[in-house]
Order: sequence, then structure tokens, then C-alpha cells
Amino acid sequence: MAKPNVTAKPSATKKPRVAIFDFTGCEGCELNQLNFEDQLLDILAQVDIVEWREAMDDKAEEYDIAFVEGALSTPDCIKRIHDIRRRTKVLVALGACAVDGGVNAIKNLHPIEEVRATVYGKDQYLFPTLPALPLSAVVKVDHNVRGCPMTQAEFLRLFTSLVMGKQFDEPDLAVCVECKLNENECVYERGMICLGPVTRAGCNSHCTNFGQYCIGCRGLVSEPNLKGMNEVLTSHGLAVDEAWKRLQLYNAYRLQGVRA
Amino acid sequence: MAQYFLEQARVTDFIAHLLAHHTVYAPHHRGGRSFAFEKTSDPEAVVLDYPRVLNAVKKFFLPPREVLLHFDLTRDTAAVPKVEPIDAVFLGVHSYDLAAVRRLDFNFSTGNPERNYLVRRKGARFIGVSYVPDKHHFAGSVGIDPYDMTGCDMFLTKHADGWIVDILTGEGSELAAGFKLEAHDEPKPRRAHFTQHVFVPQARLGQVMEASYDHPVWNETAETCLSCGTCNLVCPTCYCFNVEESVGIDCTNGHRERSWDGCMLRGFTEVAGGEVFREKVAARQRHRVYRKFKYISDVTGQPWCVGCGRCTASCTAKISIVEIVNRLIRDSERDESILT
Repeated sequence: MAKPNVTAKPSATKKPRVAIFDFTGCEGCELNQLNFEDQLLDILAQVDIVEWREAMDDKAEEYDIAFVEGALSTPDCIKRIHDIRRRTKVLVALGACAVDGGVNAIKNLHPIEEVRATVYGKDQYLFPTLPALPLSAVVKVDHNVRGCPMTQAEFLRLFTSLVMGKQFDEPDLAVCVECKLNENECVYERGMICLGPVTRAGCNSHCTNFGQYCIGCRGLVSEPNLKGMNEVLTSHGLAVDEAWKRLQLYNAYRLQGVRA
Repeated sequence: MAQYFLEQARVTDFIAHLLAHHTVYAPHHRGGRSFAFEKTSDPEAVVLDYPRVLNAVKKFFLPPREVLLHFDLTRDTAAVPKVEPIDAVFLGVHSYDLAAVRRLDFNFSTGNPERNYLVRRKGARFIGVSYVPDKHHFAGSVGIDPYDMTGCDMFLTKHADGWIVDILTGEGSELAAGFKLEAHDEPKPRRAHFTQHVFVPQARLGQVMEASYDHPVWNETAETCLSCGTCNLVCPTCYCFNVEESVGIDCTNGHRERSWDGCMLRGFTEVAGGEVFREKVAARQRHRVYRKFKYISDVTGQPWCVGCGRCTASCTAKISIVEIVNRLIRDSERDESILT
């Protein structure tokens, strides 16, 4: 199904108001926005940033675009994300934690009370906690910028699409495609586990270009053949258990209840 | 058509001779066990004895990514980047990859001619090399042997002590001019031992495919297929592409880019409005194989597969096009014998 074209273009004269928020995460995606050193002034020329805790003090009542980083992992997160959703026209999930729950969702593999006791010890009753959730589990998310940290090129593509009122298409193909375009030797040819065949492209196969294997930070493609993936691993003499541990690094939320 | 001999010890001298006068693209090591065509700067780095390169020479004429247009939205102007003939020598091309270039020449010159491809193709000169078939090559089954010199300006045939050199065109003579080569008149080795075969007369493949539309092999292959598109992207005769436009952060200047695409990818069959007309992986597998052995072949009378074995060698799920086709042949023959 084609997604409805959600854009933030308010009018021909007024600049879109942008707010940036963070939940449970490392703030690496926000840092990655501040890292747009060459483009930051151009970005500011297109929009008004009205709220951004990491970079400024101001607060705003309403926004055209909210970029939201991090997973939801406390009752307070749930309240705040509903509040943000009410105030914004467009909501963008920024990075692996916001899109898929990210590494936070690894805790969902253990009983929540056990996790709470391990992390907070005797003070655990001061810190209510929930299984980690992607934003889309609680509110409607209009667009995703994937990756850990979020892929900068994808952010800029979405940003210009929103400002111009253009359709944004999220890539839904395997990292293998970009590896072939970049003419990389297949990681399996080198005897290593690679999550590229089931992971969403859009990173220009960044890790494999530099001789690394794909760790799946951009999340699974929409229709991953996980049974086929197991056969690939087995036929290459690689450990299925190890590969599934790696798959859960970023996909623990999505793979809940799915077995190797 | 003259024949000469190039001793193994003088191969790098010969490459240096080519480099002194021309831009040379040749196979180099890529990664631990693979090879790729690259621009040559060091004659020692060239590998003439290799099984297959990752991407065929197609990549020079139809680049993986290519800007088709630059535009400026405030001035409402557009500019087409200049495309020039690739004035270069392609050294060490295998016969199946040249056969693939000839097929692309056909695809891109019939109907609406593909200007960028045809312009780039113009300056290319080819020095072919023979190869020893490995466990994936089956070019012999589609009528292309490892010593086939069609389309080459010069051809190097592997010999125990070096290479037998055939000079085939005026361009070939110019490439060799100034480099001393000994005349050679012994007969050449002409035996190619393929271990992979498609067991059917080529003329009947179309019929076999016609009868196999509902064959169970498509669903069975889909079980293991990851739908990653690798088989399309490494195929030397696949030419499908996607076109996307993007703008810079100023929201004013942008470009239109073409990039390789493939029929195994779900998004490839998604059209305006969100309709996907080959939703199932099985249907996409069937389409891929039909594109090589039926649809274009019905028009041209030739298989559009050149037997390089890349799709099988590169498939992480180890899906073999030879096994698929042979199974269709076997089952269609069995069905016929039941009917008659």
C-alpha cells in the first residue's frame, strides 16, 4: 500500500516549525544532526527550530515536524509521546530505537521485574519501567529515518521532501543491493555472518564497504525470509545461534515470539 | 588474421606497453577471493587467469549509478551531463561477458536507442582471454566457448608457457604496434571442459518455458530465496534500472539519478498507487528465468543468458539457474512422453 503523502509544508511563506525530542536512547541520532556542520546553516534557512532540549532552552506549543529519537520505556514516555503527537502535524521516528525499539528492546527478552531489579537494585520502586517499545507501537508515525545512528543522507532526503511537500519513499530492499552496486566481495564469501540479506538498505552498504559485516542496524526489510536466512547460514557452515543473537541486537522488538 | 606468441614472462611488459599509450581496464584482485575490473596503473596487479569478475564490463557502459540530469528549480532550468565515448582498452574480458555486451547492444539500440550506453560503448576496444570453466560456468550450453573471439580486437589463449595472441582487427594491430611478438602457427587448444550443462537443444527452450508456467519449482525456490536481488544485479545481460530525483539541502538544486534495479526486488514491481504486480517471490523467480530463456529469446531466437554462472555463484541461498532449467526440461520431456 502506498502511504498517504504526509508533508509539513504549511504555506508558501511561512517556514515549517521543527521540534526535536529524545526518549530512551544514547542521543547519538541528535548528535548526528548537530554533526551536519556543512549543512546546518542551510537547514536553519529552511525551517525554524522551536524546541530542542539538546541544543536550546526554548519550548513551543505546536510544531509542523517533530523528530523523535529513542524508544519508549517508562509510563512517562507514553504520556510524553501522546503529548508530542497532539502538538505536531508530522511525526518522524529518528534512528533504530525510535523506529524498531533498537538495543533497548533486548531487555524485553527477560522478565521486566528481573530487569528492573538488576538495573536499579534497592531503589527499583522509584523507577517504573516498561518493555521497550518503538514509537509506532503507541502513536501514529508518519516517517522513519533508520540506522544506528540515523543515516544522515536519509535524514536530508526526508528533510527536503518534507520542506518541499514531496513524497518520501522509505527503501525496502536488502543491503545486498547496495553491496552489488558498490561491487563489494560478498561477506559470506569471506566466511563471516552478515545480516545484509534481511536488512534494509539505505546506508549505501557503509559497513561492508569498509570490510565489516552488516549488523542490521537499519532493521529488517518488510518481508524478511528468516527461514531462508537460517538455511543460508547452515549451508555456509555458520552458527545460526550466533546470527540470531546479532539479529536481536536491533530487532528484538520485531522478532518477539519468532524463533531461530 | 595473424597469430603470435606472448611468453608468460613478458605479459607485464605487454601491459606496460598498452598503458604507455592507452587507458586500460583489467581484472584485479578484490577482497580475499574475488576479482573486479579496475583502471590499471600497475601492470603487475593485473590478473589474466581468473574465474569471473564480480560485475561484468557492463558496469562501464551502464554505470551502477548515473546522473541523468541536473536541475535548478528557481530558474526552472535543467542540464544534461556530457557523456563521452570510453576511449579505453578492456584487457582480459571473457567470451561470455563480450557476448553479454553484444546482447546489451541489441537491447539498447532497438526501440528507443539508449544514448548514454551507446555513446560510452563507442571508444571501447577489447582484448579477450580464454578461461578454464569452474563449477558454475555453463557458457558452452548457450553456444559460447571459452575460446570464442567474437567482438574482440585481440584475443589471448592460455598456453603452457604463455599466451597465444590472435590479432583480429586493425584496432588490434594498432594496440600491438611497437611491441615485438613472435609469430606462432601451432594449432590452439580448443577443448573446453564444462562441468555444468543445460541439457536441451536451444531451439526447444522456449517451448519448455512455455509449458512450465505453473511448475512447482517456482514456489519451492521461493522458500529459500531471500529476494535480495543479487542474481539480477550481477547478471551481465540484466539492464533494468530505477530513476529517482533528489534535491540538495537548499531545496533548489537537484539531480535525477538512474541506478541498477532488478525484478527480484519487490519495489521493482510497485507502480503508482501502490499496486505490486508480482507480489509473490515465486512469480518474481519465474519472471527472472523467463527474461533469460523466454521473453527476449522469443524475439531474438537466442538465450539471453550467457552461462557465466554469476547468479548461481553469488546467490547466498545457493539457488542454481542450471538446476531450475534442467528440472523444467526433464519434467516437460516426461509430460510429453506421457502425452504421446
